[in-house]
Amino acid sequence: MTLQEQLPEPSNPLGIDGIEFIEYATAQPQALGALLQRMGFLPVARHRSREVTLYRQGAMNLIVNSHAAKEATPTLSALALRVRDAGYAWRHAIDLGAWEMPTRASAMELNIPGIHGVGDSLIYFVDRYREFSIYDVDFVFETDANPKPPALAGLHYFGVVQSIYGERTRDWVDFYRTLFGFSVLPEGQYFGVLPKGTLLESPCHKFYLQLIEPPPGSEDIHWDEALVRIGLGAPDVPAATQALKERGVVFVDRGPVQPSEKGALTQVYLGGVTFELVVSR
Amino acid sequence: MDTITLAGPLEAKLAAIRAAGFTQVMLNANDLAGHPGGPGAAIDAVRKSGLRVTGFQVLRDFEGLSGHLHAYKVDIAKAMLEMCRALGSRVLLACSSTSAHATGGFDSLAKDLQKLAMLAIPYGIRIAYEALSWGRHVNEYPQSWDIVAEADRSNLGIAIDSFHILAMRTGPERLEEIVPGKIFLVQLADFMWREIRSREERIDTARHFRVFPGEGVHSAELAELVRTLDRLGYRGDYSFEVFNDDYTQLPVAVVAERARRSVKWLTDQVSRRSLPLRGASTLRG
Repeated sequence: MTLQEQLPEPSNPLGIDGIEFIEYATAQPQALGALLQRMGFLPVARHRSREVTLYRQGAMNLIVNSHAAKEATPTLSALALRVRDAGYAWRHAIDLGAWEMPTRASAMELNIPGIHGVGDSLIYFVDRYREFSIYDVDFVFETDANPKPPALAGLHYFGVVQSIYGERTRDWVDFYRTLFGFSVLPEGQYFGVLPKGTLLESPCHKFYLQLIEPPPGSEDIHWDEALVRIGLGAPDVPAATQALKERGVVFVDRGPVQPSEKGALTQVYLGGVTFELVVSR
Repeated sequence: MDTITLAGPLEAKLAAIRAAGFTQVMLNANDLAGHPGGPGAAIDAVRKSGLRVTGFQVLRDFEGLSGHLHAYKVDIAKAMLEMCRALGSRVLLACSSTSAHATGGFDSLAKDLQKLAMLAIPYGIRIAYEALSWGRHVNEYPQSWDIVAEADRSNLGIAIDSFHILAMRTGPERLEEIVPGKIFLVQLADFMWREIRSREERIDTARHFRVFPGEGVHSAELAELVRTLDRLGYRGDYSFEVFNDDYTQLPVAVVAERARRSVKWLTDQVSRRSLPLRGASTLRG
């Protein structure tokens, strides 16, 4: 019997199939937009009635939502998961004890079911992502822009980093495992240049969540529970780093997180935005 | 101390608890809902008191229901979790169901507690499930532990209330089976007679005639309970859960002084080295 046969495939009850979009909220969308363009994203569509812009790069959709946003510093405000049946996924999560998202928070005006995630963030369920997309109805695409701009150096979503309070890892593992079928990677299995915390793999094996408790001795650091960083996968990290540097992106080049074959970390932009590159095909 | 033991406005209770040397307080939902200034004013008063919130009580009759009754209780639980979070309490006490409409099916109870624990995760709240001695299907701590162990959620544990253990004459033996870190709260109280003959008498005694440890007739058993918990490695909070009609018609300072003497009694019973110094019942300094 092979090892594979001994370990049953973790179930994927919701039919999760990757990340549909990641959303930032900010009261200064132009500043974030400029940073995103440096990172290789292009604005391709605007919401019909709200201050919401869709950026794209390769397979990645990224929403910048300024509707009702008060803080200038961009925050990661939502993660949208591709699922087999959004209504079923939502009902399944609610039945297991997820919180319905408040309707006032569904600023995109799209009829996307969602639940509360960490902090003030939301988790959406999207099942229209093949022939027909959720953006076709509520967004107006730029006439002179390529609606599907190619990815820079093969960049794609690798995952999202979530900060959590001390001794909360098991709680959040319960949350992601029970509601969505994520599984914990064995201790010591890390990617990139920030090997810490707990890594959870999506049941579709397409992306990861990284849970980070405050490091020891950091009692004086302000630490909240929130989505804090997007991880971008790149097949060739040095090539991606070089391409982004040429576009003016600055990477942390000192200490253990300096760019390597495994990964790289950008400097902090706009008071709180960083991107992490991770080697991934 | 627990606010349910004292009479009068919340601010006076908090001041008396503080003045008697306690550093923590167990709050009741009515402390917020019934505050003349509204829940916000109650939360302000707790913050200003400097007392740490041991826990928030009590969610009743949550588990074992179905259909619209279950949906209703989920709404109640959510509202209580929001109050609990606003207070800065890390623990919500949930008592085993007394409802005639609740099933006793083990899997169903475990599933409902899993759901309650899930609701509490985003708020960082732990659910302490307590076996009420007049619970319909769960009325002794070994049962509550079996269900919590089956549910197996990190933020779901049990609450131990000495009253229910003494009232049901549950032995301390099965405490040995419980993972010490899964006891999220220990509430201590005694009462003043040996015999409790019926469920009704248990309820009546529990709601009106509890006394502080050292004041009742089960002192030896109570001291043994605390020593056992300590020996097994319990390092969480202790709180006095004393419902007493006499105490709610005495000046708060008088009752808080009795609570202080009870701490002294407990300290004398349990060797100083092994007394849980971080406990709610522990005096400052």
